Amino acid sequence: MSDKSSGNGFAPPCVGLRVRGLKKSFGAVRAVDGADLDVRSGGTCALLGPSGCGKTTTLRMIAGLERPDAGEIAVGGRVVSGEGRFVPAEERRIGMVFQDYALFPHMDVAANVGYGLGRRPDPGRVREALDLVGLGDAGKRLVHELSGGQQQRVALARALAPTPDLVLLDEPFSNLDASLRDRLRQEVSDILRKAGVTAIFVTHDQEEAMSIAEQVAVMRDGQVEQCGTPEEVYLRPATRWMATFLGDIEVLPGDAVRGRARCELGSLPIEAHLDGPVDVLVRPEGIAVGVSGPASAASAEVVSRRFFGHDQMLGLKLRSGQVVRSRRLGYPAWHPGDHVQVWIEGPVEVLPRTGGRVPEPAAAAG
Amino acid sequence: MATAAEPAGRPPGPVAPARRADGGRASWLMGAKRPPLVLFALGLAVAIAAALPALYLVVVVAGESAAAADAVLTSRSLELVARSLGLAAAVTAGAVAIAVPLAWLTVRSDLPGRRAWATLATLPLVMPSYIAAYMFVAVLRPKGLLQELLAPLGVQELPQIYGFVGAWLVLTLCTYPLVLLPLRAALRRLDPSLEEAARVMGRSPVEVFRTVVLPQLAPAIGGGSVLVALYVLSDFGAVAILRFDSFTREIYIAFGSAQRTEAAALGMVLVVVMLVLFAIYARVRGARALHRSTPGTARPAPPVRLGRWRWPALGLCGGVVAVTLVVPIGVLAYWASKDVASGLDAAAIMLAASNSLFAAAAAAIAAGAAALIVGVLCVRFPGYATRAIERVGYAGYALPGIVVALALVFFGTRVALPLYQTVAMLVFALSIHYLPLAVGPVGGALMQVPPRLEEAARGLGRTPWQVFRTITRPLVTSGVLAGAALVFLHALKELPATLLLAPIGFDTLATDIFRQTTTGFYEAAAIPALILLLIAAPPLYLLNEKGVSSS
Amino acid sequence: MPTSLAARCAVVAVLTALLAILAGCGGGDDKLTMYSGRIPELIDPAIAIYEKQSGQDIKVRTGDSPTLAATLVEEGSNSRADLFYAQDAGSLDAIEKAGNLEPLPADVLKLAPERFRSRDGRWVGVTARSRVIAYGAKVEASELPDSPLELAEPKWRGRVGWAPTNASLQGYVTALRLVEGEDIARKWLKDMVANDTQVFDGNVPIRDAIAKDELDLGLINHYYVAEAQAKDPDYPVKVHFPTKDLGSLVNVSGVGVLASSKHKQQAIEFVRTMLGKAAQEYFAESSKEYPLLAGVRPSKELTPLAEIPAPDVDLANLGDLKGTLALMRETGAL
Repeated sequence: MSDKSSGNGFAPPCVGLRVRGLKKSFGAVRAVDGADLDVRSGGTCALLGPSGCGKTTTLRMIAGLERPDAGEIAVGGRVVSGEGRFVPAEERRIGMVFQDYALFPHMDVAANVGYGLGRRPDPGRVREALDLVGLGDAGKRLVHELSGGQQQRVALARALAPTPDLVLLDEPFSNLDASLRDRLRQEVSDILRKAGVTAIFVTHDQEEAMSIAEQVAVMRDGQVEQCGTPEEVYLRPATRWMATFLGDIEVLPGDAVRGRARCELGSLPIEAHLDGPVDVLVRPEGIAVGVSGPASAASAEVVSRRFFGHDQMLGLKLRSGQVVRSRRLGYPAWHPGDHVQVWIEGPVEVLPRTGGRVPEPAAAAG
Repeated sequence: MATAAEPAGRPPGPVAPARRADGGRASWLMGAKRPPLVLFALGLAVAIAAALPALYLVVVVAGESAAAADAVLTSRSLELVARSLGLAAAVTAGAVAIAVPLAWLTVRSDLPGRRAWATLATLPLVMPSYIAAYMFVAVLRPKGLLQELLAPLGVQELPQIYGFVGAWLVLTLCTYPLVLLPLRAALRRLDPSLEEAARVMGRSPVEVFRTVVLPQLAPAIGGGSVLVALYVLSDFGAVAILRFDSFTREIYIAFGSAQRTEAAALGMVLVVVMLVLFAIYARVRGARALHRSTPGTARPAPPVRLGRWRWPALGLCGGVVAVTLVVPIGVLAYWASKDVASGLDAAAIMLAASNSLFAAAAAAIAAGAAALIVGVLCVRFPGYATRAIERVGYAGYALPGIVVALALVFFGTRVALPLYQTVAMLVFALSIHYLPLAVGPVGGALMQVPPRLEEAARGLGRTPWQVFRTITRPLVTSGVLAGAALVFLHALKELPATLLLAPIGFDTLATDIFRQTTTGFYEAAAIPALILLLIAAPPLYLLNEKGVSSS
Repeated sequence: MPTSLAARCAVVAVLTALLAILAGCGGGDDKLTMYSGRIPELIDPAIAIYEKQSGQDIKVRTGDSPTLAATLVEEGSNSRADLFYAQDAGSLDAIEKAGNLEPLPADVLKLAPERFRSRDGRWVGVTARSRVIAYGAKVEASELPDSPLELAEPKWRGRVGWAPTNASLQGYVTALRLVEGEDIARKWLKDMVANDTQVFDGNVPIRDAIAKDELDLGLINHYYVAEAQAKDPDYPVKVHFPTKDLGSLVNVSGVGVLASSKHKQQAIEFVRTMLGKAAQEYFAESSKEYPLLAGVRPSKELTPLAEIPAPDVDLANLGDLKGTLALMRETGAL
């Protein structure tokens, strides 16, 4: 039902979702303050951020459950909000999986799944949706007879049954046991991909966001701080805040001169054209430890060790007194007191000491 | 993708409140969990107390089954049962029809002044049905107050309003708050994400209401409906004034002509009807899980904008309040002003008022405590025995006040003579007569307290009593208060038991009013009636704030 | 909730005290206790006469006669009541048959005419009332039927009111059955029901309905209209004494002493006072009922008892309530 001929001048139908300048305030609180987002048709995007960043409000505005104060939302090329138009939730052809699943307790599973298919749902379609989530035989069961994971899958089937243009998931895995969570993340991700539907999900779990979404949008204070592939946002944080928010980060003071940044752990090539005092941001897993290392390696003493089985986290005191963390394979085992060589292996991000975003190369040149 | 191997695990999902398949340990009688002995004994005591009226009927009928059957199985009796049931059904339908829109408007919409409307809409509870009936007659009779008002316009005579139509109108307007209160509480507790899910799936708001909201409200509507139906079946005063032949009149006549056996047999018919009603209600409610499927607080739903529907909505609320409140109070005030002119015994009225207050308050406390015992037994230890305890409690409410009174005369003079015709016995009668009104809200509140909280406390080493004191009690206080308030309101206006069981000289406002109306001097009854309404208003406010639910 | 032992003891003590107060609010056995089915406004002055004459107080429990009768039956020998003052003979008879009444001394019984006391001498009438047909402004005196049986005729369809639950009407039906036979009584009841006779739950509403023009005729007791007329000389309702078919049947309100009474002598004194000159004159003038004591004249407006055609019926037998009620139920009147 994508309105390709609406003549609204918007993007071609391969845009699954497009959000521009979305704003919403609740009284004095500005929950969403100018959020932009693009998701390709069939893609999966995770809205990630600390609590209060506006991700759930954004999701609810996309669903049509909240009315934006400003901005535009287009689903499948059709403007559903903005330009003076507001399409109510029931007309948006969007599927939604709620945090507490919101399954109707007075209907059985099949009735729940078929609810979005109209007054007389086609049992074949219902069965298809249930098969898609692996619960083909559960149609006659009652909601309270199912386990948490089963309920979640029914909620997903219910959202997918009417073949929506877009599926929204609000913290879908937060109510599950840790053991279940991982497996279900994968299953749900597979299901969504198989269904070929555009999906947005809100989460506060970073691992979750990065492992199942092809695109991660990190929100902060009502705006999208950075949006990109998981690798991009993780390995190339655009701002200092991004770097500290997502995963662990180590900050090494240094100097940048003509394409190279020099810090205690060596001189590293950098992409951006910076000069002057900089901070070198590197993840603990990018700090290598060994008996001997390359020429640029620095000496350090192991001051702490935490063993996690598959990896170990070492606290390394550098000659300057700064302690950095290194997270590498669990073996060989190091112990506090050991003297080691430390160097950087892997991508780093370099930011001017005064803070701010990394300038694009094109802008910096000339 | 494994399905059969899906671990049941222990996710924070729903727990069916009924018996778990506990294997061999589950006792069929008690259910999977056995209640502590003290609690069960207390519950049994409450059940026996509440069952006294029914027991009395059984004792009287015992040994005279032929005469009893003769009395019951006449065509006239059956016709009257049918008439009364018909009235009860019609009133229930009417009460639900009024309560549903009012509840929705005052909880979910942006109707201006909704809290005030909510309180006003429940005020009819304080009006005794016989007062409402005689006001109705006084105003709407062919040559009554309304006709006098309209006489200048040439209206000579209004149509007759007696019989079924009059009884239906009056009783509907008196009893709809019994549905409204639990409905509002249930609406407030609804999880809005279910409605949002339904909307997102493409259903219009009206369809969402019909297919998602209403079914979830069914237990509240059902519970309120049972109370309404039983009230109508046992009502005597209003139907007599409105000249409707009802079944309770049979019972009253039989007792009055010293035909105990026949009267008791007829009373047992009422008990049977009550049990049947209950069975239907339980079936309709089903084995559905009654608490939310996942824990966590429900976000309150944003109010629905009424727009230009605001005016019809205000009209509905205003119309109901005008008819149930403004008109009766206006007429009472008018009569009171005429009566004051002829002299007023203020001291006597104040004494009657304080007596009413005392008896009703004591009954409310007793019923509240008893309801708590029954509630804890039923909700925490569900099983046949505890369910039976709850059901038996309704017997006292389903029977007309005269049966309850005579039952206590019977047992009181034989078993507890020193307490006979003391205030204590009156309070006892009032509390067993109205006990079910308290069980509903208390049970509802208890169900909102997850058993997990109590289990956690037990795990931390507290005894069941300590757990109750420190964990459960604070959480269910609002439910207990609501239940007590309901009992208070009904006990205030009770008549037959007070006439027979109170000590001589213990006049209440209700007996004062009765005395005046028997002579037809309605004006003199106006002031006690107004004071009755005044006393009843504060607990009503409490009810609305704390919220009432049905079990 | 208090946790210290002292506080808990205090709470228990207070509760016990409360309970004791509640239990105590009852007792007091020195005074006479009377269950009265009559309106307090009407008999309070008569009671005051007794209290002044004897120096004794009476405690009165007011209710309606049938319910009080049922209560007395249930209470049995444990009853604390000494006296039962009933609105009608039917209730007294019910209790007498249940064995709850004490025989009265002959000199008390003789104060009332023989037809106004129980055959067994266990209760005695205090005042009498006559059945009448009350009529409103719309009815011409010439139209008035001379017999209640005529009220079942088509020309009165929907214009007549009666109170089938009222003991006086039931008494009338019993008398009809006795004197004219079961069949006539049955036919009358059936015809009245078929004739759309309006049903009321008491005599007062009938009188009020006639006053409001909602009804043209009603079967009630005479004094309801008389007392309304006393308050308002222009009261629009009048009474007619039908001469045929026991239309003016006279019934009594009476009093009996309970066998369970612990103050029998005082109770008998009360009965004697009710049939004494002072009380009887009060009843005659104020409540417009017929006094039973010889020598006390009824109020001027009333047709004297002697002029009312008295049926040859033993008033005491008006207690066959069971049969009457069964008949009334069978015909749909009740």
